[in-house]
Amino acid sequence: MTKILLAGEGGQGIQTIAKALANAAVEAGSECVYIPAFGVEQRGTPSVAFITVSDGEIRYPRFDVADYVVILQKRAIHAVVDYISPNTKVIFDSSTIAAKDLPKTAIKILGIPATKYAYEKFTPRAFNVLVLGKLTKVLEVSSDAAWKVIMKLLGKKFKTKEIEAKNYEAFEYGREVVLEQKEFTTPTFLPKIGKNVFRGHDKRAEIVPERCKGCGICVFKCPVAALKMGEELGVYATPIPEIDLEKCILCGNCRKFCPDGAINVDKE
Amino acid sequence: MSNLMPKSWNKETKPHLFCPGCGHAIVLKHLGNVIDELEIQKKTTFGIDIGCSLLAWNFFDIDTVQTHHGRTTPTMVGFKKVKPKRVVLAYSGDGGAYAIGLQSILHAAFRNEPVTVIVVNNENYAMTGGQMSPETIPGTITTTTPLGKPESFGPGLKGPELICGVANPKAFIARVSISNPVKMAAAFKKAIDNQMNNNSFSFVEVLSICPTNWKTDAKMSFERLKEMESYYPMQEFVVSQEKKEKND
Repeated sequence: MTKILLAGEGGQGIQTIAKALANAAVEAGSECVYIPAFGVEQRGTPSVAFITVSDGEIRYPRFDVADYVVILQKRAIHAVVDYISPNTKVIFDSSTIAAKDLPKTAIKILGIPATKYAYEKFTPRAFNVLVLGKLTKVLEVSSDAAWKVIMKLLGKKFKTKEIEAKNYEAFEYGREVVLEQKEFTTPTFLPKIGKNVFRGHDKRAEIVPERCKGCGICVFKCPVAALKMGEELGVYATPIPEIDLEKCILCGNCRKFCPDGAINVDKE
Repeated sequence: MSNLMPKSWNKETKPHLFCPGCGHAIVLKHLGNVIDELEIQKKTTFGIDIGCSLLAWNFFDIDTVQTHHGRTTPTMVGFKKVKPKRVVLAYSGDGGAYAIGLQSILHAAFRNEPVTVIVVNNENYAMTGGQMSPETIPGTITTTTPLGKPESFGPGLKGPELICGVANPKAFIARVSISNPVKMAAAFKKAIDNQMNNNSFSFVEVLSICPTNWKTDAKMSFERLKEMESYYPMQEFVVSQEKKEKND
C-alpha cells in the first residue's frame, strides 16, 4: 500500500493532479482512495489531497503516515507536518522552497525545481503536469495510460494544440527528470523583493512585485495601453505588469483600481 | 512620498488574503483613503461579517470586530450605543446583508441607528464556491443554478430600495459601483459624515466583481459588472417625507 499526500495552495491545481493520479492508478489496475481537503476556495489557502493506492482491497483509508509527501508551496507546509515520519520521502518544489523551511522530521528530502523548469522550458501553467509526470513514474503507471487520463480531465483546458504539445513535453520531462540530491539552501525562483521603479519623461512609476497578484485589472483599465504583462513574477508566481512611461498620461487609473496597492504613477 | 497604499492599511499583512482581482480589496482601498482623509483612523471600529468580507480581519490598522453571520449591523449598533463617540462601520457581503441578516439591517434603518453599513454585492456566495445569492440576476449561471437562475427564484433583490421603504428621511442610502472609484469614495465619505454629524443611519451598496467564481478575466469581469449596473440602478436614494408621516 502506498500513501501519497499532495500539498499546495488553492489555484495551483493540486486537486486536479490528485484526481488525475488517482484515475491513472485505477486505470493501471490498482485500488485507490482519493480524499481532497481544502478550506475556502481561493488562492493562498492550503489545499491537501490524500491518496492511498493499493494492489489489494483498501478496507479503510486511514492516513497516519505518508510514504510520499509532495509539497508544492511553502505556505502549505504546516498542513502536512503531522504526516511526515523519518521514512517518508518528501518531494518538494526546490525552486520555491528551501530545505530549511521543511519540518525537522523530514529526512529523506528530494527536490524537483518544477516551477523553474515549467517557466524556462514550457508554459508556466504546465508546472503541475510536470509534477504529475514524476508521480506517475513513481507509481509505475505507464506513460500512455497516464496521458490518456490527463487528456480526459484536462483536455478542455488545453485550448490550442500548441499548449497541449507543451504540456505533453512537460509531462514526459517530468517522468524523466532525476530528483536532485542537493543541499537546497536557497530557493532559486522567488518573487523579487522590493520595488520596481521606472523613471523617465519626468514621470516615475512604482510596481511592487511582492504584492502584485497579477490580476490584470491595471492593464485593462489603462486608457492609453501603457501597461502590459511582463516577464517578472509576482507573489503568486504570476506575471506582473511593466509600464511604458512614454505613453503614460498619469491618469492614475491603475492606482485607483489596483486591489493590492502594488502600483503607483506620479510626476518626478 | 509614495502613496501606494492608504495610511490606515496594515502594511505588515500585505499581500492581503483576497483573491487576485477581488473587488473587496478595491472597495477597502477607497474606504481606507476616506478614513485617511477624515482622519478617523484612531476612533473607528470596523465590523466584519462571515463570508469573503471576513478576510479583511487584519486588513486595516483599525480596531476590528468579527461577528456572527449577518449580525454585523446589530453588533455595531450595540457598540455605538456603548461608545457613542466612536465611528462604526459594518462591512458585509450580499449574502450576509440580504439573505441571513436582512432583518437586522432593516430594523437598524427603521430605528435610524447611527451606523454606516457597507454591503459589497458580487451576486454570489464567493467563499463557498459561487452559489446563487438573492442578488443573482435571473438567467445567471452559478454553481447551484447550472442552467441559469430560473424565473421562479424571483428577480435580484434590490436592497437599498427595500431599506428606503422603512428608513428615516435623515438616512443616507446609495448604490455605487467599483467601476467608478471616485463616486464610490464620495459615497463613503457622505455615509460616514452622515453618521458623525447627522447622527443617522447610512447605507452604501457597492456593486463588485468576483473573478474567481465568475471565472472571468479582468476585461470580462468589468463587462459583467456593466450588466449588473444596468440591472441595479446606481443612485442616491431619497426617503420621501410622505413615507415618514405615514410611518409616524
